[in-house]
Amino acid sequence: MQQYESSHHNDPLDLLRRFVPTPLKAVYRISSLRVIVKTNDITLLPAFPLGADLDAVGESVLEWKLVRDADSPGLLGEPVFLTSGALTVVEMGTACMLALDHERRELLGFIGADVDAHTYQEFLVPFLCRMTNEAFIEDRYQDLLSDEDAND
Amino acid sequence: MTMTLEFNRQTLPFETDFQIAGTRCFLSTNSHEVLQAAARLRKLEKQTSVPSFEMEVIVDSALDRAPERLAYFRGLKHIVFAIVPPRCFLAYDLLRRRVHAVLSITAAQDHSFWDTLLLPITIGLMGTTVGVAPIHSACLERNGRGFLVAGVSGAGKSTLTAALAQLGFGLVSDDWTYISERQCGLVAYGLSSPVKLLPDAVRFFPELRAFAPRTTLNGELAYEIDPVGSTMGFIAKNVSQPRRVFLLERTASRGCHFVPCRHEYVRDFFEKTGERLPDELREAKAFRARIVQAIAACPSWILRTGESPQITANALDDFLEEADHAAV
Repeated sequence: MQQYESSHHNDPLDLLRRFVPTPLKAVYRISSLRVIVKTNDITLLPAFPLGADLDAVGESVLEWKLVRDADSPGLLGEPVFLTSGALTVVEMGTACMLALDHERRELLGFIGADVDAHTYQEFLVPFLCRMTNEAFIEDRYQDLLSDEDAND
Repeated sequence: MTMTLEFNRQTLPFETDFQIAGTRCFLSTNSHEVLQAAARLRKLEKQTSVPSFEMEVIVDSALDRAPERLAYFRGLKHIVFAIVPPRCFLAYDLLRRRVHAVLSITAAQDHSFWDTLLLPITIGLMGTTVGVAPIHSACLERNGRGFLVAGVSGAGKSTLTAALAQLGFGLVSDDWTYISERQCGLVAYGLSSPVKLLPDAVRFFPELRAFAPRTTLNGELAYEIDPVGSTMGFIAKNVSQPRRVFLLERTASRGCHFVPCRHEYVRDFFEKTGERLPDELREAKAFRARIVQAIAACPSWILRTGESPQITANALDDFLEEADHAAV
């Protein structure tokens, strides 16, 4: 399968690389969530089984948009979490930048060129799943609290 | 070791606000150094009702011991990640108009870091969401009348700007101008960013030999001249009202020629040189399009020159003198 190399993305009007195409798409189930993963690199698709029913109704859906950044070298650094309201940002050096927007149900991130498939599958995928789960469970807990307050 | 920094009222006990480029920044922090930097900015402008954004700054001494890092900017949808040298990390949430920053103590205390990096980068990234469109052009002022000078890369915009500034024109900005629309018309802010001249500019400005070129954020080697208190004789201005536009073009033939320019041409030029914005920032896109439309409505000329920056600056000075005369 073809992949889109972000180093070929020489758009002078897109210096932030927002518009690197992410044509590869797969759907997974993580706990009770349906996660749609979009990426430009097949090795960034999680290796665990595709567990989601594409037509499932009423399920919570979350999107991961992960861009392999061929121009960001370096290995993963120690994670630094920035948490503020609806947004959680994780920085592991230029090898990995992630932002989880709880309200918009999106996990957006750049994965550097030197993060190999093994490190990605063995460390980052479980990390992304944990982030996704924790955020979703916490959000559901907050929703329940709000419902209880409303009922009182 | 994993580090978690929570941005909330407990971790950010200090609050203040300041105005920058016609917008108001509500700042919360854990640091006296940041409060002091903001206090300096509070004096700059006085406006009451302006768009605003929030900036949350945690100063962490651990960063002062961390290795230096190169500049890094990436964005997806409404989120932008930024590593700003030497050791600072910022995350911009453009939909919620909020900046989360982790600064070293050294950076927090350094006014030059605020003036030349943190604030221009922040307004550059956030601007369109808070009513200030970053436009790739220089802005100068002659006898209180502002004008923009734009051009494709390599046209000589910065050297012409420096030559005009040496001729006594007020210098608002060299590379990026931050433009908003007020009742009085377009208002341009410059943020006093340094004028960036490439090493070969030394043939037109021998006085540059007194400076050392530095590697800039985008990796280019350049002289960076602080317009405030500049030894090159620049007169820095924070704000102006641009009323004319010049699109600079280099030609092989000698002379300077001013060719009146159609509004559509100017609009296309700025639209084609502006940063692409994602669909999530629909309002910001629409706002920038309005600003570009307003710029395109100004009297505009293509300035074709095969001359040195100084000769071109003199020709532009004469042209503006005549234009002002005709307007009177």
